[in-house]
Amino acid sequence: MKTIEFESQRVSLWYFRIALVLFILQVILGLWLSINYAFTLPQGVVDVFPFSTAREIHTNVLVAWMLLGFMGGTYYILPPECDRELYSTKIAYLQLAIFVAAAVTAVIGFLFGWTRGKPLLEIPFPLNALIVVAALLFIANVAMTIIKAKERTALQWMLLGGVTFLALMYLFGMPFYRNLNTDYYYWWWVIHLWVEGAWEVVTASIVAYIIMRVTGVERKVVEKWLYVETGLFLFTGIVGTGHHYYWIGAPDYWLWWGGIFSALEPLPIVLMVVDTWMHVRERRNPIINPLTWYYIVGLAIYHLVGAGLWGFMHTLPPVNYYTHGSQITVSHGHLAFFGAYALLNLTIFYFAMPRLKGINRYHDTPGRWGFWITTISMFMLGLVFGVAGILQTYLERFLDIGYSTAQLTMMLWFKIAFGVGLVFLAGVLITVWHLFTLKPSSAPAPEEIVTPAADI
Amino acid sequence: MTGKTARLIFWLGTLSSAAIFLWMTYDFHLQTPKFTHTEKLTEEVVDGKKVWHKYNCNDCHTILGFGGYYAPDMTKAFYRLGENNIASIVQHPEVIYRNSFRKMPQMGITEPETKKLIAFLRWVGEIENRKWPPQDEKFVEAYRLREAQPEKLEKVHIVMGACGGCHSFEHQGRNLGGDFAVIANRINYDRQTLVNFIINPQSVRPGTTMPPQDVSMQTAGVIADFLISLKSTQGVSR
Repeated sequence: MKTIEFESQRVSLWYFRIALVLFILQVILGLWLSINYAFTLPQGVVDVFPFSTAREIHTNVLVAWMLLGFMGGTYYILPPECDRELYSTKIAYLQLAIFVAAAVTAVIGFLFGWTRGKPLLEIPFPLNALIVVAALLFIANVAMTIIKAKERTALQWMLLGGVTFLALMYLFGMPFYRNLNTDYYYWWWVIHLWVEGAWEVVTASIVAYIIMRVTGVERKVVEKWLYVETGLFLFTGIVGTGHHYYWIGAPDYWLWWGGIFSALEPLPIVLMVVDTWMHVRERRNPIINPLTWYYIVGLAIYHLVGAGLWGFMHTLPPVNYYTHGSQITVSHGHLAFFGAYALLNLTIFYFAMPRLKGINRYHDTPGRWGFWITTISMFMLGLVFGVAGILQTYLERFLDIGYSTAQLTMMLWFKIAFGVGLVFLAGVLITVWHLFTLKPSSAPAPEEIVTPAADI
Repeated sequence: MTGKTARLIFWLGTLSSAAIFLWMTYDFHLQTPKFTHTEKLTEEVVDGKKVWHKYNCNDCHTILGFGGYYAPDMTKAFYRLGENNIASIVQHPEVIYRNSFRKMPQMGITEPETKKLIAFLRWVGEIENRKWPPQDEKFVEAYRLREAQPEKLEKVHIVMGACGGCHSFEHQGRNLGGDFAVIANRINYDRQTLVNFIINPQSVRPGTTMPPQDVSMQTAGVIADFLISLKSTQGVSR
């Protein structure tokens, strides 16, 4: 196995490092949120650092580290995919500096109440504009690298299409809408068309690349799957946006279109699991770093469970009427973001970071602990939120018991969530520490290299 | 499957879905005035929406089911709480939730801002969203009934419609200010004192945290009778 083929791939390292630090920050804030749920805080604390402020940091930092991972990942795979250096490493660093400066200022601003007060999109206007500048620089850099490449591949275009789609959708969250219902209509153009549209396209492309490199499966086969999967993702995902429009005051047909299309949304994820599994079985390369393979397979399965299964459970209108806006959504949100996107980023990191450090075979014992602790504890967390959500739905919406009484009854589960959260944080700390201190493995390679991956 | 078929699947899938979605978006804009009563979307309502954003209410509360899940949904809050209760909660959360297991921050929301916020919540409550959230529909119905035919209302409906924002009775309402079954047995006021207390609590018990209630003398009388009746039945059964 080679390490890296092009010097400009190194820009991605800083994206990954900052993303990992933000990941820790996000989880710490998440724990603080669960303390807010599980214990009664003094009024003085609530006045100075309310739940709302902690939540906006928790979610914005999530989006920030996800995007940093995607951008870093794109910069990592683009040079070998285009068989040339990046168009400009200066732009890549400049864009990173702008993005991080805007993100840090935003978080500090939140602490002082500088916010747009719109969930997940709280970043106020001038900082918003900086993010757009960073995104434009990124797209320009990616596009120029692809245009200047000698070879055209489907993967290049899919990646460029995905990130452009992603940036374009962000714009719909920026204006002030007078009407709350229209506000939320376009809010979902950002949130839904990201996670069930643009992000899926970017994920599918990056996963396709990593699978191709790691398993040595033929490009033609991988790209065919990529087309079918992204086609199905977008087919079901775009109209599937309607599953957010059931209760906002919109025409009746959304119940049908949103319900049917979103019920089909797990299909492409099933395909993704099938093709990952097939490619892993039909690998032409030996398994050099088992942990990287764990992440690839884990990502596919967790993606299906968290986003596919958990989403499907409450996507149909008759169910959603009772579960909408409850802890069940919290359960789905955590499992889906972790399963589909946190694991994707970690897969990228485990694929790229050893190579960036020139390590062929890394010592992976702490990383394996991190993998199992985070994946299992997050699944437990999803179950705990799910139980709390079923309780909440039953108490509030079937037994007609008031909000506070229902929340008091759920208190045991909030306390368990806090405990599980502590375990999750431990897993994250181990994983991040492992990634920052990757060392070559002393054990000899167990298998001979059959087919070098370099010919792809 | 050939590469060509795969590409065809991609483009067919993406473009057909995008076309359906864009057409429905166009139709959504045509129909939104009907569903959200845009004729009532005044400047005051828009200002209220800005207040809603300014204090980041949406990262604790949900509205239309979206946002933080840390505090109750605000879609039908106008019906659930009524104008008075919203005002007192928003301006004095540290008093209202003094004994609560979960606090609301004191954010220094001014009185004019509160007025705008209430206008916004009133307008939001009228969005025709298929009676969601289900648990608040009883408050909406109670409000509509009170408005339409006050004389035909059942007592419990009237009382819980007016007081259910803070008091509970037989699993209805919110138990902030105490359950009526408990209160009825604790208090020793006669009917007139009770009526005075409801309309201006401070005049009867200075320092009480209950805000003045904007109800008619007649409704206050109904509530007072209701409370006294609870007391007497309990007395008899004992």
